[in-house]
Amino acid sequence: MKPLFRGILAGLLVWPWLLLAEPEATVETGVNEDVQNLKQQVLELNRDLFMLEEELLFPSNTQVSVFVSMDVGEFFQLDSVQVKIDGKEVADYLYTRRELDALVRGGVQRIHIGNLRSGEHELVAFFTGKGPQGRDYKRGATTRIQKGLGPKYVELKIVDQTRNFQPEFDIKEW
Amino acid sequence: MPKLPLQFLLLCVWLATTGSSVAVSVKPQQVLDLHYGEVLFQFYQEDYFTAISHLMVARQQQLLQHHYDESELLLGGLQLSYGMPDQAERRFDHLLDETTDADLRNRVWYYLTKIAYQRGHHREALTKLQNIDHPDDALIRTELAVLNANLHMALGDNSEAADLLKDTRAAHGWEEYLHINRGIALLRAGDIEAGRETLDKLGKEGADNEELRALRDRANLGLGYQLLRAGNAGQAREYLNRVRLQGPFKQAALLGAGWADAERGDYKQALTPWLKLLELASYEAPVQEAHLAVPYAFAQLGDSQRAIYFYEQAIGYFDEQQQQLDGAIQATRSGELLSLLSQTDTGISGGWLHDTPTLEGVPSGRYLVDILSSHSFQEPLKDYRDLGYLQQLLNLWLDNIDLYYDMVDARRLAYQQRAPLIRARLEKQRAKALYQRWQDYKSLTLAQHGSGDPLDLATGREKQQWQTLRKVQATLSSLAPQPRHSNMLARARWLQGILYWQIQANYKTRLWDVEKQLQALEAPVTEASAKHQQVTEALENAQAGFDGYDRRITAMRKRILALLPRIQASRDNASAQLQQLALQELETRRQRLESYRIQARYALARSYDQIAQQSGEQP
Repeated sequence: MKPLFRGILAGLLVWPWLLLAEPEATVETGVNEDVQNLKQQVLELNRDLFMLEEELLFPSNTQVSVFVSMDVGEFFQLDSVQVKIDGKEVADYLYTRRELDALVRGGVQRIHIGNLRSGEHELVAFFTGKGPQGRDYKRGATTRIQKGLGPKYVELKIVDQTRNFQPEFDIKEW
Repeated sequence: MPKLPLQFLLLCVWLATTGSSVAVSVKPQQVLDLHYGEVLFQFYQEDYFTAISHLMVARQQQLLQHHYDESELLLGGLQLSYGMPDQAERRFDHLLDETTDADLRNRVWYYLTKIAYQRGHHREALTKLQNIDHPDDALIRTELAVLNANLHMALGDNSEAADLLKDTRAAHGWEEYLHINRGIALLRAGDIEAGRETLDKLGKEGADNEELRALRDRANLGLGYQLLRAGNAGQAREYLNRVRLQGPFKQAALLGAGWADAERGDYKQALTPWLKLLELASYEAPVQEAHLAVPYAFAQLGDSQRAIYFYEQAIGYFDEQQQQLDGAIQATRSGELLSLLSQTDTGISGGWLHDTPTLEGVPSGRYLVDILSSHSFQEPLKDYRDLGYLQQLLNLWLDNIDLYYDMVDARRLAYQQRAPLIRARLEKQRAKALYQRWQDYKSLTLAQHGSGDPLDLATGREKQQWQTLRKVQATLSSLAPQPRHSNMLARARWLQGILYWQIQANYKTRLWDVEKQLQALEAPVTEASAKHQQVTEALENAQAGFDGYDRRITAMRKRILALLPRIQASRDNASAQLQQLALQELETRRQRLESYRIQARYALARSYDQIAQQSGEQP
């Protein structure tokens, strides 16, 4: 009976090491190389299709994009953003935790892309979330944007204002 | 301990392949180009495909003036995260020229080291790591030290790995990970006592989150088994006792604890953890092995009746497990595994499989899911999922592309209807002639500065008066000389003089006014002319533009249609590879079960023999 015990024990003692060992290296195979090439080709095609779609749906002369960015986000926890252009709602976005984290780390979200005629337009943004001390917080920001010949980019910025411990909502034209 | 550093440690020890703190800063980035920020937004959510696509578009459209160099590095990092190490390596190599600044070079070498490490080229990875300059940031220094130690361990140089970690001052939040890595290196180097001391300290420390508690369990479990292996069963039991019974290592700890007792001859005590394992009704290896260990312990205690009972129970259990394994093998061969794999198509751009597929209606599904989550499966499974996403995406584009033809056709029709009207209006507006007149006036005012003829700036009425007076003089001069005519001529000359004097007297004011007006007109006249030109060119180019769109759409459609069968073939290959891996793994488990079953049967026969012998010996 002792050999049975030893045999099992020897086998058992090896496998916990797998818990502590570094993960195995990726094995390079022909399949993987093929997949890499396919990914590259699809990415290039996707880029070309994306640009074609943008040219057709949002020509640069009428294109307008609205972006949302956030700095530290200590005084305001964003729940949603609503955007209206010339009184018409063009975006109403509810954020996930993952998206908020991406915003706080420096990511910028394109919340809207659409078309506008040349000239002046009114843009209104509403920010909803939790303000200082976890209170419900809703603020609006309004600006008049001038749409010219090229694409128009507008940034909605949520900035922590340390001087009064309040969030500040700013609209910047690019 | 803050959560963020732990996550980054996991990155560091290569349990994940996302961007790391060396390559992309943990701190919020100062974004100077909106489109670069948009790429980061996708990247931070681990949506690598979308991030790469947006980055490629932004680069093509030259929208990254402030982040161009960083975007090159980011693209390489994204490709690496998205499972394209060959392309990433080429990109990084390309970045390494003499003009690259030190910070960028460090980050490039870091990525190149990572690629070599992932491929298992440890010596090459170590050489590349040496190119990274000593960084100022403590977090990055720690991360690189752990990487360096891992590479040395992979090359079998465990003592060096332990020394490297000993000399490293851990950044805040990394202490535990540095300890466990050092403990492992020492144990591997054969320095059991030093390894024990290091891991012992970690195993006793309080842990305020699940991640740390699991790490502590891991340290205790590893140390317990190592001591058991070294013949120090007493100490082994101490460490195994520290493993939580609610944690992921419960089964291994219970099994080891029993063996530690058995090693010391205390089979009665060994039965406590082993019988607990039997209650778990699990199919995992420690439970399977406990089914052999329990009757073995009863046999050692001389309780042959119970030994026989549990051996028979074990044989029944192994038979049942074997049936399930046979079912899983059969299900794999008949394509059941593929149906499970199809549940993993989540419509997001690839990445690792985080959620276990559901088992509804899948026979022996738990074995299949178990296999799906094993490490050797993860890479081909990721390829399989990525290919599935590419397939979905291209099919979606294919559906949309016909709409693009329609859009171009609608524009062409609108052009054909409106172009004649627009041309007619352009003709009327004569923006070119207007611009020419403005140019003429501009030249005239410029000439005035040289010649200074005030009459050029006379008003229309003045010019008319001037002409009238000249005509009067010419007429009077042609008449017969009479005093009356001479008086009239003198008067006409006098009036012309007066007129000239009036015009000349405010010449400067007039010149200034004209110049001011011309200047005010410059912008609208130029703009009108440019718009006119633009519309004219657009009208002329529109037809060619429509044809160009048609050609582009057709070309892209062809590219989609060419890629789809290739993706399908590659996905078939990946699924065949997964099926083969699954069958190998299931077969290994089946053989192991078979071996246990044989051992149980052999031991059962011996137990019966012993009873028979004992009965024979008793009168």
